[in-house]
Amino acid sequence: MPSATVNKPRPSELLSRLTSAEPEVKVRALREVKNQIIGNRTKKLSFLKLGAVPAVAGILADSIDDVTENNNCNNTNNFLVQSAAALGSFACGFDAGVQAVLDAGAFPNLLRLLANPNEKVVDAVARALRMIYQSKLAPKYDFLQQKNMEFLISLLNSEKETVSGLGASIISRSCETNLEQKALFDAGILRKLNSLLEGGSLSLRDASLESLATVFRNNPEVISKFAGPEIGRPLSSIIDLAKDRYPRTRLLACMCLIVIRNASPHFLQDIGIKTKLIHILLELLDDPGQVGDEAPFAFSSLIAQKEDLQKLALEANAIDKFHHHIKKGSLHPRRYEGILLALADMCSKLESCRSKFLSLQVLNLVADALTDYNAGVRAAACICLKSVTRSIKNLSAGYFMNETIVIPLVQLFLDPSTSVQVAALGATSNIVVDFTTRKSIFVQCGGMKQLVQLAKSMESSVRSNALWALKNFVFQADNRLKEGVFSELTASLLSSLIRDPEPSVQEQALALVRNLVDGCINLIEFVFAEDGLILGAIGRQLQCASKAEIGIQGMYALCNVASGNEFHREAVMQLLFTQMGDKNQSFVVKFLQSNDSQLRTATVWTIVNLTCPSSPGAPCRLEKLRNAGIVSQIKNMVNDPCVDVKLRVRTVLGQSMAFGDN
Amino acid sequence: MSLFWVMIPQLAEIQEQMASSKKVIMREEWEKRLNHIRIRKEDMNKLVMNFLVTEGYAEAVAKFRMETGTEPDMDVAMIMDRMAVKEAVQCGNVEDAIEKVNDLNPEILDTNPELFFHLQQQRLIELIRNEKIEEALEFAQEELAPRGEENQSFLEELERTVSLLVFKDVSNCPVRELLDISQRLKTANEVNAAILTSQSHEKDPKLHSLLKMLIWAQNQLDEKATYPRIKDFLKATLENPAV
Repeated sequence: MPSATVNKPRPSELLSRLTSAEPEVKVRALREVKNQIIGNRTKKLSFLKLGAVPAVAGILADSIDDVTENNNCNNTNNFLVQSAAALGSFACGFDAGVQAVLDAGAFPNLLRLLANPNEKVVDAVARALRMIYQSKLAPKYDFLQQKNMEFLISLLNSEKETVSGLGASIISRSCETNLEQKALFDAGILRKLNSLLEGGSLSLRDASLESLATVFRNNPEVISKFAGPEIGRPLSSIIDLAKDRYPRTRLLACMCLIVIRNASPHFLQDIGIKTKLIHILLELLDDPGQVGDEAPFAFSSLIAQKEDLQKLALEANAIDKFHHHIKKGSLHPRRYEGILLALADMCSKLESCRSKFLSLQVLNLVADALTDYNAGVRAAACICLKSVTRSIKNLSAGYFMNETIVIPLVQLFLDPSTSVQVAALGATSNIVVDFTTRKSIFVQCGGMKQLVQLAKSMESSVRSNALWALKNFVFQADNRLKEGVFSELTASLLSSLIRDPEPSVQEQALALVRNLVDGCINLIEFVFAEDGLILGAIGRQLQCASKAEIGIQGMYALCNVASGNEFHREAVMQLLFTQMGDKNQSFVVKFLQSNDSQLRTATVWTIVNLTCPSSPGAPCRLEKLRNAGIVSQIKNMVNDPCVDVKLRVRTVLGQSMAFGDN
Repeated sequence: MSLFWVMIPQLAEIQEQMASSKKVIMREEWEKRLNHIRIRKEDMNKLVMNFLVTEGYAEAVAKFRMETGTEPDMDVAMIMDRMAVKEAVQCGNVEDAIEKVNDLNPEILDTNPELFFHLQQQRLIELIRNEKIEEALEFAQEELAPRGEENQSFLEELERTVSLLVFKDVSNCPVRELLDISQRLKTANEVNAAILTSQSHEKDPKLHSLLKMLIWAQNQLDEKATYPRIKDFLKATLENPAV
């Protein structure tokens, strides 16, 4: 007779039955709760809110007491199995459930039950613990304590797959530092995992691959100890698994090999293995499930920052394949995000990749992704754009400054997610370096005003990226555009950004000033607006510059100001000297003595402009500089290791000699 | 007419040439080569046992083991557990099947959203089949709609299933195959495969792969040679090559 769903008790009713005095009623209710929540996230949430987890954890705890008192065995085991299974299901892929199970104090009880004589109990408990360890919320396992390591070894040595699988999960979740990795190696855990690779079942092999990758991550020492003496053999079992018939195993094996490659320059470097990895990962894209979703992320970890691999991937038609998949549409958001990030990595350095990307018309699809409902996808689309817009050839041709891209991109400035905002700003920073004069599109759609708004954001990363975009926007732009930006920004905002608490923001603000005043002499007036607010801010910031980059941008800003008229040059001089306070040394000398060649260059350039022979006030300024010991400092730099510095030093000395210095 | 008589020998010659561009292997030669290959009885027994285990014929497994001494690669008790689940689905007792699967291994349905959805879908179909319309609607709303929200393809499947309620004459509607017994079998096979996978056992019998290999190999060879091929797998007789 087909099943019916009549007379289903309400969840609250079920919950009250969990505390019933009658064992029959209680166990039936427990089983019912378990069956309702398995596979059903909505039910897990609603039972959770009703307080089911503490109730079930309570049953588990009571049953343990019964075990110790040797009460009715079968019944007790049943309670243990059902409650452990229910707790495991609450924790399965559901962080709120994991937290609830931990808060209810069930974790130590579950651990104790691993020693229970009944197989079914152990299975249920081991599964529940494994669900917990798959979550980031799992308690940290301290490998460095001797008895913990022994316990772990006993888990891995167990005949029961559920238990040894748990051991592997603990390693995958909790092993973080190099010290822990070494401790695991020393305890012989890696040999054990390797034997599970070769002899274990499918799920055990997969679990071992994940654990091995965790122990190898960023630890070349452990890798070489593991693979070294029997060169090739332990690694060859992993390489074989990369060709396994099960897609998940292939993916995990590839990820493990990539971890080894990235950590250690000695292993897996030949072109054969590189090509193989690329091909396997590209082929895994065809898997319709989770494996296919994760494959592009593994691909990114393989090729990121590595031009040789990007070239090989290009030859393997990676971009075509990614294009093919995005074109299909209705992708799982994780997969969509992964593919976009993989394309971003492919195009991050090589112009050949960007050309391929643009020739296939992938750009339109990426522009669509800018309006996707998933924040991760939107951010990934922006990151992809940032890579592609590094193509100077296409940038100069004004290829990207069009409405299909600029309008959705500017809309993302108001995105609720900060990471999307920052990513959009990154892409914008490249696009606005438009060497044609089509920047007006950006102004027309309100982009420039938005950027100024974002420069006032509470998030420092948003502020600094917005300034970066503005800095690029005004780079060699015409006067009208620059004036527009300045009036939108206002002197008081810009000066407060120069004095921002975050160094990265200070740096970008100074660089923005540098670009603003570069070029026409009228623009230099910006720094004098409102009683010299900006100029004053620059001076104060240079006095306490926390890193070289701030000094560099600030000095170049001053350098540009000093390229103006006499009034401007005098103002700069005053700035350089009034900031001394009780320090005998001007920051100028400090900068000249810096280890950073760019900072030295910028400073010397400023001196060049201040002592330009054609200007009437030059001799007087030179005298002041001499008295401050700056000229003699410069004389010491005649043989500076940096060519730029050397040349400018000679210019200064040449100019000073024109005034009769020896 | 006379032209016709001239053409015939020409055609025959061309055909002979075409036939001879592929290598020809006659039956005698072929059988001689086949006889060189040794297949062990134990291997064949293992193949049969593997088939019986995968398909879940628990009694046959026990009997075959007794008669041949071949060890099944799985506990008979496990096979019987799995069969109980499969049979429950095939009889339309989906709720019972779900409870049994969860007793076997709660992870299966917790980590297989597609399978779980199909089982819930089958429950809905059974409710509709038994004309429990109100219950069906309540069930669809409470249990299945949230799954549809999580996944686009589930939503489409759900809509197809619910549309059964719209048609007065279900035997003629476009989604009538959902009410067919074959739908139950499809779901039952899905559960069977998931249980086997969770036990780290392959979900298809090896015999299946061997037959596929045979078909593929013959297709490949067809392009290069004419030889006695097997056309009917049930009879497994060699057909004489056409010359």
